[in-house]
Amino acid sequence: MSVASENGVSLRIEHVGMRFGGLRALDDVSFDVERGTILGLIGPNGSGKTTMMNVVSGVYKPTSGRVMYGGKRIADVPTHEVCHLGIARTFQVVKPFASLTVRENVAVGAMYGRLGAKRSARDAFARTNELLELVALARVADRPASDLTIPDRKRLEVAKALALDPDLILLDEVMAGLNASEVDEALDLLRSINARGVTLIVVEHLMKAIMSISRRIVVLAEGKKIAEGTPQEVTSSPAVIEAYLGARFAKRQETDRARREGG
Amino acid sequence: MLAGITGRRWVFIGALGLMGLLLFVPGLHSEYLNLTFRNILMFAAMSYGWNMIGGYTGYVSFGNVVFFGIGAYCSAVLSTHGINNLFADVALALVVNVIFAVLIGLPILRLRGHYFGIATLAVGLAAFDVANNLDVLGGSGGVELKQIDQAHFYLYYYAMWAVTLVCMLATFFIARSKLGYAFVAIRENEEAAQVLGISPTRYKVIAWAIGAMMGGAAGAVFGPANGFLDPGTAFAIDNTVYPIAMAILGGMGTASGPFIGALLLSGVNEILQQHFLTIHALFFGIIIVLMMLFLPRGLMYLVGLRGGMRRWLSDLQAYRA
Repeated sequence: MSVASENGVSLRIEHVGMRFGGLRALDDVSFDVERGTILGLIGPNGSGKTTMMNVVSGVYKPTSGRVMYGGKRIADVPTHEVCHLGIARTFQVVKPFASLTVRENVAVGAMYGRLGAKRSARDAFARTNELLELVALARVADRPASDLTIPDRKRLEVAKALALDPDLILLDEVMAGLNASEVDEALDLLRSINARGVTLIVVEHLMKAIMSISRRIVVLAEGKKIAEGTPQEVTSSPAVIEAYLGARFAKRQETDRARREGG
Repeated sequence: MLAGITGRRWVFIGALGLMGLLLFVPGLHSEYLNLTFRNILMFAAMSYGWNMIGGYTGYVSFGNVVFFGIGAYCSAVLSTHGINNLFADVALALVVNVIFAVLIGLPILRLRGHYFGIATLAVGLAAFDVANNLDVLGGSGGVELKQIDQAHFYLYYYAMWAVTLVCMLATFFIARSKLGYAFVAIRENEEAAQVLGISPTRYKVIAWAIGAMMGGAAGAVFGPANGFLDPGTAFAIDNTVYPIAMAILGGMGTASGPFIGALLLSGVNEILQQHFLTIHALFFGIIIVLMMLFLPRGLMYLVGLRGGMRRWLSDLQAYRA
C-alpha cells in the first residue's frame, strides 16, 4: 500500500482494464506518474485516453486492475471525494456552470475542493482573484460563463481545477480548438502551474504541443499501452510509428517530398 | 446570481416591502381579503418549497404537495389529541417532513430528469390514497380541527405571513451561501459538480428537505386555519400545479420569483374566476406554455438583462438547444 507514496511516484496505474459490454476501452494498462512531472498521454481517436481520465478521476470504476494514489485505491473513493485526495480534472467537452459568473464557477471549486471545508463562501471568493489572474480571466470575472469564447472556457476549466488545490491535474484536451498563439499561451500556463509543484497528466492530440511540454509520454492504441518513454524515445518507437504516427507522419512526409520535388 | 445582481437585490427589497404592506390586510376587516391574501401567502410558501428542489437544483418535482399535506395532517393529529398550538403544529410538521423527505429522497433523488419527475408524481398520488384509507387521519370523511377562538381569526393570517417571510429570507440567504452554490452547480452540470467535490445525492436531499420544511410549515398553518381537512383538500391538484406555475412565472431559482409569481398569478386568477369560472384553470396551462416558450427563466430573468432583444433571443436559443 505504501509503495505508491515512495520513489516520488504520484499516481500508479496497475493493470487497468475497462470494458463497456463487448468493447475493451482499456486493456491491461500500467504506468507510473512521477511526482512534480508532466506526463503526456497520447493516442489516436478511440484509443482510451478519455476513458483513462475517467478511471483516474473516479468517474468510472475499472473492471480490472487498480489505480493507486497516495496509498489509496481510487475505485474505493466516491467520485465527489476524489478531488479531496488532491486529484483535479478538466473536461474535454467543457462543462461550465453556464448561469453562474466566471468568478462564481471558480469559487464553487474553492468551496468544495480539498480545502473547501475550511473555507466560508467569502473565503472561497477571495481565493478566486489569484486564480483568475493566473489563467488571464480576471477581465471577464463577472460575466456569465455562457458568454465565454472557447479558449476562455478552456481556461475556466483549468481555473476550476486549480481552485480544488490539487497535487495532480488531469488535463483532457485543453488545447484542442485553440490557434497557434493560444496554444503557446496554454503551454506557458501549464508550465507555470507545474512550476508550482503540481503534477500534470496532459491528454492531447497536438503532437507538437505535447512533445514540447511532456517529460515522459505514454502512448495508447485501441486500449493498450504501446509505448512509454521520453518524447524522443516514443517518436522513434516502431510500434508508435506504425499504430499512431505511422499513417499521419508517413502521409505528411510523402506530401512534403512531393511538394519539394514539384517545386 | 446573474450579472444583474444589483437589480435583483432591489427587486427582493421591493418584495420585502410588499410583504410589509401585507401586514395591514387584517386591518381592512374584510373576510374575503383576509382569506384571499392568506391563500396567496400559502401558495407563495409552497412555491418557495418547490423552488428549492425544482428551481435551485433543477430537479422538477410534482410531489411537493405531499409535504404540504403531511404538515396539515400533523396539525390535525395534534388537534384530535387536544393540542391546539400553532408553534407545536409547525414544529411537528418540520420534524416529520424532514424525516419523510430524507427517507423518500434518498432513493428517488438518485433518479435523473423525467424519471425523477414521474417518481415524485407517484409519491403525491400514493399520499392521497394513504390519507384516504387511514382512519387515524379521518380517512375519506376528513377530520375537524379545533380553531382557536374566532376572535383570533387573524392569527392564522399572521402565522402564514410569518411562514412565507421565513421562506423568502431563507431562500435569499441560502442562495448566497455555499449550500446554494452546490444546488446551482448540480442544476447546471451534475458531473462537473461532482468532480468539484460536491456529492449530488447529499445536496439534492438537503434541498429537497429544506423545501419539505417550507411546504410543511404552510400546511401546518393551513390545517387549523381551514378548520377541516380531508385528502382532497390536503393533496388537491391545485396545490401541486399552482406553486410550480408561480415559480416558473416569477423565476425559478431566484429568491423573489415565487413571491412575485404568487401575487401575479393569484391576482389574475381571482379576476378570471369571477368572469370565467369554468375555464379559469385553462389560463394556468396557457401561462405555463407561454412562459416555457418565451421566458423559461421567468420574469426575474428580465431584471438586469443587458443586451435587450438580441440577448434574449440568443439566450432562448441556448436554452432550447
